[in-house]
Amino acid sequence: MEDLKTGAEITWCPGCGNFGIFTAIRNAIPILEEKGIKRENVVITAGIGCHAKIFDYLNLSGIYGLHGRNCSNSEGIKIANPDLKVINFSGDANGLAEGLTHTMFAAKRNQDITFILHNNSVYALTTGQFSPLAEKGWKGPSTPRGSYEEPFNPMSLMIEAGATFVARSFAGDIKHLTDIMVQGVEHEGFSFIEVLQPAVPYHKWAEYRERVEYLEKEPETYFEAIKAAKEKHKFTIGVFYRTTRPVYHKELYDDHNPVTQKISREIRLDKIRKFLSDK
Amino acid sequence: MNNDVFTFLVGGKAGEGVKKAGSVASHIFSSMGRHVFQMDDYMSLIRGGHNFSVISTAHRWISSHYMKANLVVNFDKRSCETHVNDIAENGIMIFNSDEQELENGIGIPLTSEAEKYPMKNLMFGVGAVAILAATIGFEKEEMNQIIKDEYPRGIENNIEFASTIYDIVYPDCGNKFFLEKGDRERPIITGNEAISLGAIAGGLDVYYGYPMTPASTILHTLAREAENFGLAVVHAESEIAVINMAIGSAFTGARAMVGTSGGGFALMTEGLSLAGITEAPVLIILSQRPGPATGVPTYTEQADLAFALSAGHGDFLRIVASPTTVREAYYLTAEMLDLVWKFQTPGILLTEKHLSESSMTVEIDLEKSKWAEPKMYKDGNYKRYQDKDDGISPMLFPPSKKIIKWNSYEHDELGITTEDAKKISFMHDKRNKKLETLIDYLKEQQIVKIIRGENNSNIFTYGSTYMSVLEALRCGSLNPTTVAPIYLNPLPIWELKEFKNQDNIVIEQSSTGQFTKLLKEKAGLNVRNTIKKYDGRPFDPLELSMKIKEVLE
Ligand SMILES: Cc1ncc(C[n+]2csc(CCOP(=O)(O)OP(=O)(O)O)c2C)c(N)n1
Ligand code: SF4
Ligand SMILES: [Mg+2]
Repeated sequence: MEDLKTGAEITWCPGCGNFGIFTAIRNAIPILEEKGIKRENVVITAGIGCHAKIFDYLNLSGIYGLHGRNCSNSEGIKIANPDLKVINFSGDANGLAEGLTHTMFAAKRNQDITFILHNNSVYALTTGQFSPLAEKGWKGPSTPRGSYEEPFNPMSLMIEAGATFVARSFAGDIKHLTDIMVQGVEHEGFSFIEVLQPAVPYHKWAEYRERVEYLEKEPETYFEAIKAAKEKHKFTIGVFYRTTRPVYHKELYDDHNPVTQKISREIRLDKIRKFLSDK
Repeated sequence: MNNDVFTFLVGGKAGEGVKKAGSVASHIFSSMGRHVFQMDDYMSLIRGGHNFSVISTAHRWISSHYMKANLVVNFDKRSCETHVNDIAENGIMIFNSDEQELENGIGIPLTSEAEKYPMKNLMFGVGAVAILAATIGFEKEEMNQIIKDEYPRGIENNIEFASTIYDIVYPDCGNKFFLEKGDRERPIITGNEAISLGAIAGGLDVYYGYPMTPASTILHTLAREAENFGLAVVHAESEIAVINMAIGSAFTGARAMVGTSGGGFALMTEGLSLAGITEAPVLIILSQRPGPATGVPTYTEQADLAFALSAGHGDFLRIVASPTTVREAYYLTAEMLDLVWKFQTPGILLTEKHLSESSMTVEIDLEKSKWAEPKMYKDGNYKRYQDKDDGISPMLFPPSKKIIKWNSYEHDELGITTEDAKKISFMHDKRNKKLETLIDYLKEQQIVKIIRGENNSNIFTYGSTYMSVLEALRCGSLNPTTVAPIYLNPLPIWELKEFKNQDNIVIEQSSTGQFTKLLKEKAGLNVRNTIKKYDGRPFDPLELSMKIKEVLE
């Protein structure tokens, strides 16, 4: 587990929920290795925000992308080399404000990547503005009289968009979170994992601990899943939806791999010659 | 003046097969061994409006269409109105007599003849081909074979219809034009096909696009060829996704290219900047149309030059180059794709609708384009951003036991985020070294096209305008020196030095003279006059030659 740390100075606030996520992912990787997923095949991406600092701390290869856009980096990695397992770290603003379209489309395509949403319900790094998941009435520097918008429901949103593994976990329950992460990475298709992640300047851990509940039974159908996502309160953790659907890269080119099975120059030139002779 | 050129113009509504008729005509000429240039003028709509294709053909290399046509075929009234002045001396105009009566020209009842067939809307194009065949003296059998090959749906009806039209026009103008046969048949491709093929020859693995004229047909061509060449070709949700996906793919070692026009490129600029700091090799095809904003989608302009040169926030190296001909678009795309990998920085291939969507006969030396492995990691600790004398850090791709970190924040050599003052300037210096390395490399290459003339004046131009200029000089029998830099960043000032204080004239398609400004500011060039065109249309060689003459005197 220690070798999964780069040693870079950690600048999260003491008590930040991101520590829980950092621990859980370092627990999950060795478990995945035992299950046959090679560590060097795991690649990470992060957006910009407090959540994203995990990129500097985790000793794994990947891309520290732009705010809101790392999901597209993740997709580009998977499309070019489907042998890689991509874990995509995102904040709630990163993935559901600036990057909403990319998140929705990655789900729609059933891209075979694991999307971890650090839900602290604020723009933490930029000093606590209301986020797409903040309660209506959230008072932040950009909404001094309280925000005017209702939050998204990430579970139903992602089920609707086409994600094939949709779950919620809690940064304060490392065991649960580790287990969900392992399942998410193992799942073939778009795995969306929302993690309740308290940000200490803005939230109290005690409130989370009081309210977190386990989903008693994993829904079995699409409609049961939507129902659970709509009815259960947003501190309900567990797997809301799991299904199988062809993944994007297989739809695109089956079992081909553009990087490892690149067509040689000679063959390309022959085919270009043929193309030109038909013109 | 230009009696070595024969020009055919066909006009009608969108949906009437104008462009198809144009390309069939081009193939007729190329199969005669002649050189061809075809320009399609169409509006941003799917049915109706007015579209036309102009095809000029010659016995020698030809680099532009001419707007004065020897044979004009108009399907409707609007076409007749639009093209009244486009008929060459001794040229003929054939119009649809079901739409109107005209004194000049030969009327044929296109509509009433076409209405005898079930697919009457598809008949006009066949009719245009029949008219061309009759006027250039093709036998009916020859024509029928062409109709069979090119219009495979409802062959019998098509041949019958073509035969009727042929018989109607033959008495008036059969065999009116004599076109000499040329030496050999050459393929006809559009600029966008040249770009697509060039990319494949340069080792392309993945292409991302979001439809935007005039770049869309790169996406279409590559999507069609994806399986054949083992490529991944993706139509993504936006240009923002497109550029970021390309960077993701580059991270795995895949050669990634994207294509768009001005508006989509504007959306890509944050990603371009990301490619700058992560040192991601990506190639962007920027095919210009008139701006600002949505501008004029299906027409041509060169007004994104200044934008391309400085797009993306922050200091980083953007390689910008613009192909002057369709053939060169092939070589340059392959070369640029290789260069961005050699230098690990984004590149922009700047072109225009006029090159992207015009077609011409080409001869391409396929062996010329190659791709090379980038500088790769050998041994020791791996540092993604290791400092090197030439500024170029060795690469490594996943899966690897070594850690490879690409970072959008300023970073240290390992790719870990930093805010340290020394490390920030260190990394800027590291990246900036690449410019010198690139200039040294380009000094060994031929990156400016210079044709020495006898006049005391020089003409500077770039991009597809170069083709218009060459054709204008030929038809006007003018002989100034022409200079066309292919690379615009870095601008090859070492090659331009000798012209600095001479009498220079610039020709470009920007209303504010962006290329002129670049030459003055970067190369210190003395520019006496700029000939500009910014109505969305490419230059007509005859008109341009007169303008050049005026300026030269
Ligand atoms: C294009 C762009 N806009 C704005 C920012 C500034 N910015 C940095 S982080 C952030 C919000 C972060 O919120 P979230 O994604 O929820 O991450 P958190 O800090 O809460 O973990 C913003 C707006 C940016 N970096 N880039
Ligand atoms: S502001 Fe919140 S999210 Fe950011 S480090 Fe502090 S506790 Fe964590
Ligand atoms: Mg947040």
